[in-house]
Amino acid sequence: MATTTAQLILTSTDLVSDSLSVSAIATLTGAGNSTGLTLTGGLGRKKLASGHAQYTLFDGDAYANGAHKIYLKNTSTTASEYFTIEINSEQMGKLYAGDWAFFPWEANADTNDIKIDPSDDNMTLEYMLFIDE
Amino acid sequence: MATNAQLILTSGDIAGDPVNVDTGQITLTKAGTLNDLDQSTGLSRVHLRSTTNKVLLAANAEGDNLAAKVYVINKSTDSALYVTVTINAQTIGKLYGGDFMFIPWSQTDTSASIEVAATNWTSSTGDIPVEYALFHEDTDFLTNA
Repeated sequence: MATTTAQLILTSTDLVSDSLSVSAIATLTGAGNSTGLTLTGGLGRKKLASGHAQYTLFDGDAYANGAHKIYLKNTSTTASEYFTIEINSEQMGKLYAGDWAFFPWEANADTNDIKIDPSDDNMTLEYMLFIDE
Repeated sequence: MATNAQLILTSGDIAGDPVNVDTGQITLTKAGTLNDLDQSTGLSRVHLRSTTNKVLLAANAEGDNLAAKVYVINKSTDSALYVTVTINAQTIGKLYGGDFMFIPWSQTDTSASIEVAATNWTSSTGDIPVEYALFHEDTDFLTNA
């Protein structure tokens, strides 16, 4: 069993009158148990060079239904450049330059693909999948 | 009015090479600009006991093409108790006890609300505490656009 942790830190001193300081640490475990996730695809990068067409980052058919976790980061430094993130053709959100996301993924259907759609050419997405066997 | 979000992923043994990913403090900005996000629901908390979907954050169709970031955490200490998170009936994933998510949110239309369900809740499991926060911009309440 491996031990992998994800820590989120949200801070703001001036968004509201009271300072914001949220910290959460989660150990990544399998569905409904305390067993640490033991597989990962490693930290990867995908550059979508031209045409900026939609690309299937993770194929729902390739993974069993489970408590997978996904990390995504738009490495662009141009504020207007974003990746649109979709699950099974439902748009989750747009990841603008420098933004990151971390979320659970079930892969509970063959169609439950994670797809990315860059707004411009030559954009690079950094990603990592932690896999529940 | 900067709000910063940082993620640190670490593991010494999930692979032969240790995992140590640190995004650094990323400032949350409005769509396509360097202007800070200036609105928030604040950190909120509900106790979930519904096995069917409940709206956690209602989509505002005017929010389409605006930036919004959503934080949700299942505060249960029971690793078997999970919260199913959906957008427009599409399951994003299940947050088991202690799990969190931080995602961008496209409010493509009013159907794109973020909903949650305590899918395996029973009267004997106890409620599932869920905390959440939304950081966003809004066309109706502009402050520094």
